[in-house]
Amino acid sequence: MFETLERGSLQVDLLRFKYKNSLTDIFNTLNFKIEKGEFVGLMGRTGAGKTTAMMLLNGLIPHFLEGEFEGNVIANTMNTQRYHIQTMARFIGLVMQDPETQIFGITVERDVAFGPSNLAFGKEKIKEVVSKSLKAVGLEGYEKRITSELSGGEKQRLAIAGVLAMEPEILVLDEPTSELDPVGREEIYKLLSVLKKKGEVTILVSGHDTEEMLEYADRIIVLDNGRKVWEGRPSTLFKDIVLTKKNGIRPPEVSEIGNCFQKQGLLDQDSVFINKNEFLQFAKNNFTSFKISNNGSEKYYSTNNNPVAIETKDLSFYYQQKNSVLNELNIKIYKGEFVALIGKNGAGKTTFSKQLNGLLRPTNGAVFINGNDISQLTTAQLSKEVGYIFQNPDHQIFSATVYDEVEYGLKRMNLTETERSVRINTALEFVGLEKFTNRHPFTLGKGERQKLAFATVLAMEPKILIIDEPTTGQDWDGTNKMMEMLDKLHRQGHTILMITHNMLLAAEYTDRVIVFSNGKVMLDDPPEKVFYESEILKAASITAPDCVTIAGELRSAGYKNYPVTINELQNDLLEQLARKENVNRVLPFGKLRS
Amino acid sequence: MLIEYYPSESYVHRLDIRTKALGFFVITIISFVFLSPIINLLIVFCTCVILFTIRTPFSGIKKILKPLLPIFILMLLITGFTYPASNFTSEANQRTLFSLGTFPFTLGGFLYGITLVLRIFIMVITSTIVTYTTPIEDILQLLKKIKIPHQFAFIITTGIRFIPTMQKKSEMIQEAQKARGAEIGKGGLIKSVSSYITVLIPLIVDSLRMADNLAIAMLNRGFGAMKTTTDLNEIKMRTRDYLICFTEVILIAIAFWIRSKNIGGL
Repeated sequence: MFETLERGSLQVDLLRFKYKNSLTDIFNTLNFKIEKGEFVGLMGRTGAGKTTAMMLLNGLIPHFLEGEFEGNVIANTMNTQRYHIQTMARFIGLVMQDPETQIFGITVERDVAFGPSNLAFGKEKIKEVVSKSLKAVGLEGYEKRITSELSGGEKQRLAIAGVLAMEPEILVLDEPTSELDPVGREEIYKLLSVLKKKGEVTILVSGHDTEEMLEYADRIIVLDNGRKVWEGRPSTLFKDIVLTKKNGIRPPEVSEIGNCFQKQGLLDQDSVFINKNEFLQFAKNNFTSFKISNNGSEKYYSTNNNPVAIETKDLSFYYQQKNSVLNELNIKIYKGEFVALIGKNGAGKTTFSKQLNGLLRPTNGAVFINGNDISQLTTAQLSKEVGYIFQNPDHQIFSATVYDEVEYGLKRMNLTETERSVRINTALEFVGLEKFTNRHPFTLGKGERQKLAFATVLAMEPKILIIDEPTTGQDWDGTNKMMEMLDKLHRQGHTILMITHNMLLAAEYTDRVIVFSNGKVMLDDPPEKVFYESEILKAASITAPDCVTIAGELRSAGYKNYPVTINELQNDLLEQLARKENVNRVLPFGKLRS
Repeated sequence: MLIEYYPSESYVHRLDIRTKALGFFVITIISFVFLSPIINLLIVFCTCVILFTIRTPFSGIKKILKPLLPIFILMLLITGFTYPASNFTSEANQRTLFSLGTFPFTLGGFLYGITLVLRIFIMVITSTIVTYTTPIEDILQLLKKIKIPHQFAFIITTGIRFIPTMQKKSEMIQEAQKARGAEIGKGGLIKSVSSYITVLIPLIVDSLRMADNLAIAMLNRGFGAMKTTTDLNEIKMRTRDYLICFTEVILIAIAFWIRSKNIGGL
């Protein structure tokens, strides 16, 4: 069973594992192997067992999290059952999801030194590894900084540095990018690929980042329900749209077009595109002259005739006089609009949103909700008009049942018992928790707790909803369900403001996109316009959806539309094909000549 | 509560923690040796000079002393009324300033009250000087030197490290609850106390979850892998430390000698 294993390799041969107080097995036959120097991605929906699988690798299971464990896990030639976790930690560095609970030092330097000093490295050696690992994660010069003052991305990198300083042969990271903006996400993957290229470490990383996995991983392992359901090259995985969707993995943007073409017999088997550049090449070769009518530019929305729901007048805000967080914002949001607030972390999106329900008060200027100045109203009073849904549902759940949790806000609203119960049931039904009325909220999964938090706000029936990154840390299924709910509310006439880092969602669902940068509004227009302002977006560190770049490249072929979703682009291409003119090749298209 | 460490290169910053700790005890003992407010006032003045020269923020000290104000007044009143004239050696101090019914308010008692207040002042100022100029690592080293187990020291640093995190969590929870209509800390006593439950429960649940994650992270970082851990910078006594420690010992000796001559009493 054990062939000769190399250092830096991993082998999991698990017959079964069940937590001590759990009724069902977490894993039932899980086998996978990772070779030295590989960069492997672990994917699958939330709750598929990714985190638990990672905790097998350094012996956290079964030593710390106990249970019924049958099988063997060999990491770096060591059987985890025979060694202490701390001994394994020397060779297998495990970076967990939340960086906050992985930082022990008060200063950056001290924190990175925590691991090596636990391993009783010599003093000179510690100095060396500390500066080496800080350099590796791009935090050189941060040595004396106070850890609690770092940004989210910096904390994430510090957590990685702290593990790197122990000089592991295998680096395992659990969703290291779930809390980061696209810029931070890209940085983490680049950092990992540099580490891999140096050939010093084997890397296993879990996450929902389709594009990055495709670009950086050598191999993907897909888990579902505690089982390995697939493994192989990322390009093979992402070409199989059925497989990815079945496992809650978002397929790459352009793969949708390829699949559609294939279904219609326009494209050879196995020439689905997964990579933007590949598709671009194909499109340029085959669509040389567009004749389809231009339908885009007039689509720009005519200013709404609806009444103004939210208005800010010269809104400025700062904590310290020198650096203003918000700078003289004049924004009007009309009733029934679905608005996306985008911009990188720290651009002012959340600070702006918190002004709208009085959680923060303007330093200068004023905020009007439905025409009324809100400066004299408390947040509690405003909660009937402006619902604010936070990112972390656990910051508000405190009741013993799902029903009570939703009722809490309503009790302050002078409603009769029956009115309350109607509202509670409607809200729970809307989010799909009607079966859980009497459950304890903490027995629900994270995705369900998020829905519960959503229901608590909906039950108060506010006409304006502010949602802070509703899809962060969610898998593709969760994201889609959340967006369906928002879309439904939008169609019911709610005014919705959504803070998001996900440009695909902003493009697909919203009427209007506001781009923040350094406390100022850089752009404020419908997505069809905003995403084509490439210069300004670049300055605000925002990457537009792939279809926008592709449309830009097809301009020379006479393409005149402004698609923001891949479906719009696809429809244009299909329309052009239907005309059967000015298309270079005979159908079906063959595989690209490389 | 206390003013936090602030990195700087002042002469007090550069001293060893042991020198500073000894200095703290010496000054405290001297202030307890003398009953007279004049000598204690002198000590307050001297410690304030040190405070000034190392640029400690005064606003922080004000914050510590402000809530103590009613206690100070109470102390003055209690000592004034409860110390009978026979307690004082000098005749002037035996004088009664005024009487409230049958309770005489003596000058000696009043002065003794001032001394008590000044002693608190002195302790606040000297401990501020120590915490402002000493990084937490040095304090931990001191604990280690006096053989307090390393795990205990780890608890202290981790605790300090998580103060800002918990503050932020508590703010976020309060915001989340306010946004759904909770009026935290408002209304009558019972209402305002019960409104904090909505903050406390999520905070406790979250802390428990964090504690679990923290335990896992500690293992991941090899905590407890070896019997000993490496100390990054050892605290070191230099010549100036020995000189100052020597002066401190001399000072306390002089103080006792003066006191034995019956100077500085009441």
